[in-house]
Amino acid sequence: MESYLDYAAATPMAPEVAEAMLPYLGERFWNPSAPYALARSAKADLEDARVRLAHALGARADNLVITAGATEANNLALASSQGAILTDSIEHESVLACARSREHRILGVQADGRLRAEDVASALDASVGLVSLELANGEVGAIQPVREVSRAVCDERARRLREGEGRPIWLHVDASQAAGLLSVNVSSLGADLLTLSAAKIYGPKQVGLLWAADGVVLRPLVLGGGQEGGVRSGTENVAGAVAFACALELAQKLRKEEAARLSGLRNRLQVRLLGRFPWAWVAGPSKDKWRLPNLLHVSFPLLEARRLVILLERRGVSVGTGSACAASRMRVSHVLAALGVPEEVAMGSLRITLGRPSTQEELDFAAEALEDAVSGEMARLGLTEARMAAESARLRREGGAR
Amino acid sequence: MSQTVFLGMSGGVDSALSAALIIEQGYELRAIYMRNWSRDLPGFRCSWADDLADAERVAVTLGVPLEVWDCEREYKETVVDYLVDSYARGYTPNPDVMCNQTVKFGTFAQRAFAEGADLVATGHYARTRAEGGRTRLLRAQDEHKDQTYFLWRVGEEVLSRTLFPVGDIRDKAEVRRMCAERGLGIERKPDSDGICFVGEVGIRSFLLDSLERRAGEVVEWETGRVLGQHEGAFLFTLGQRKGLDLGGGPKRYVVRTDVEENRVYVSADHDCPELLCRTLELEDVRWIAGEAPEPGDYLVRCRHTGELMDARVSPQEPDARHDAPWASLEFERERRRVAPGQSVVVYDGLRCLGGGFVSKEGQRG
Repeated sequence: MESYLDYAAATPMAPEVAEAMLPYLGERFWNPSAPYALARSAKADLEDARVRLAHALGARADNLVITAGATEANNLALASSQGAILTDSIEHESVLACARSREHRILGVQADGRLRAEDVASALDASVGLVSLELANGEVGAIQPVREVSRAVCDERARRLREGEGRPIWLHVDASQAAGLLSVNVSSLGADLLTLSAAKIYGPKQVGLLWAADGVVLRPLVLGGGQEGGVRSGTENVAGAVAFACALELAQKLRKEEAARLSGLRNRLQVRLLGRFPWAWVAGPSKDKWRLPNLLHVSFPLLEARRLVILLERRGVSVGTGSACAASRMRVSHVLAALGVPEEVAMGSLRITLGRPSTQEELDFAAEALEDAVSGEMARLGLTEARMAAESARLRREGGAR
Repeated sequence: MSQTVFLGMSGGVDSALSAALIIEQGYELRAIYMRNWSRDLPGFRCSWADDLADAERVAVTLGVPLEVWDCEREYKETVVDYLVDSYARGYTPNPDVMCNQTVKFGTFAQRAFAEGADLVATGHYARTRAEGGRTRLLRAQDEHKDQTYFLWRVGEEVLSRTLFPVGDIRDKAEVRRMCAERGLGIERKPDSDGICFVGEVGIRSFLLDSLERRAGEVVEWETGRVLGQHEGAFLFTLGQRKGLDLGGGPKRYVVRTDVEENRVYVSADHDCPELLCRTLELEDVRWIAGEAPEPGDYLVRCRHTGELMDARVSPQEPDARHDAPWASLEFERERRRVAPGQSVVVYDGLRCLGGGFVSKEGQRG
């Protein structure tokens, strides 16, 4: 048996999506900008896909730019604004890196990863041009209070209008990690810009989109033939767009059912692991309402997650250690550091994410492998349950954790 | 109580098998990954992460801890800066020689002993033998893999507390077979070669990143005729044929570089007297035993796994021209000259006695 539990890093393409995409890799290969009828039909398929994508977001098709993934969409979003970027410390690197390259302010988050909308409100002043936050964090699963933040942004916009300040202010929401399981309706979120990725919702990699409300002026990062309304040059990825539309429709159709099913599986796994290792730490919000339903971030203090990953892969279980970028650099992830997780705990952190193919049987199998790996490492290091409990309690006291 | 061995583990095949053998021999093993300096190129994944992951897999298989020691500063200062500085002064250095002296058998060994190591170990192909209270460094069983060429600046003191677990193994195929037998899962990993931190970009682009380009002339040795231009004499090494860019004509070889005048001299004659020598002068020599051997006939090697040649070696004390011990070396007959800065290592049979760096002067026909 095998168990893949890293759906926040990559999802397999859904069979329907692959099927929808396939004709565009072969027989329907035409360049949508070419003048003859066949190419016009490819253009029509592209625009149809755009309409379907927009529909899933409750948006208009001409406000969508199809990009090569969420990182590009985030870059494009942040480039649209003038003035300072206001964001928080647990955002994805693609947002943090763009923010750091210009005037910016980075807000701290609470110990469970949630941003306080009041903190955004009090940080908003005349210098801010864009507020950027994730709908849900991909490492600890915190769902952010986007609507409250949106209200704060609206208040600031109203103030500027009253006081005759000309600078626009936009709210950008990166919904990449959330799209499969939460609503991504742009009006109910109150966003001005929204990023989505096909790769996280059982679509192809390197396909994403940026939605921008009327009034937001996007500045192209890639110049050339003027495709995508001049915002994103390069021959359109018709295959990717069609697959993306299919994937998003499917995700939104299955969303409620999947969210309930996966949170049930996740919660049972959490109960089982904490029953076996009561001293383990679970990061992220404690209320299900505020945590991604498919994500369990669990830390085994004093153990090394890198070794657990190897022991698990031997048993056919694939899990991540947090954000893939941080893991490859062998640094403690910036998200855990921002949450104030002590290093001895952060080093022993696994991010377990469930997906559409996950089953109870598979999770039982993975839980057993994980229990063996953790107890094996404890035995190797001569760590008893009592010692783990004591160390964990000490670290909680010292770290001031929740 | 068993002795504790600290092993430098690189993520490669040789140190992986070394780890397994150390455990089988009943030692207590502590495996250490030395993180060396690497260039942080924007957009490139740090190359050492994969090696560390490989080392980690082996450590988990063997059930031993793997620690990461940060050797970045020592490595940068004593290996990388040394490399760049040597090229800038017109030498062609062997960075591995410095790495062994200052990092693996320097910082690493010192820290290991300070933390309670009885012995240190590496995956080098080399052997040591105790002989009348002394420790001798010997070439590896596998002559094709022997790495004593890179170990000549390591002193007897540290060698006396060093294990080379793969030094006695017949050949690399056997090493891989033994890895597979033990389920280490690494037996198919290709050998690494070249200078690790220079990586795939190659030495030329590495140097051009670190040193100023300076236009200079390529001059024909025999006639003094200017044949073309180059971007810096430091980019060229004795005997080099590629990268001259003289726009056709016969193959030409670098016979001399002059970094002060920024001139590169070339010749179309592969047997140009300037490319040959009968004597060599070695500077900054080190003798593993601490004292110089008697002058006499020995075997010498001028490059890694290169031919072992007969030569008369005469160790010398520092003098007006040399602020460190040096040696002169005379071959039986004329040989190809060796680029200044390269190591020449001296052997008495299998035993590695030490060596020196080829000086700019003293190579005569």
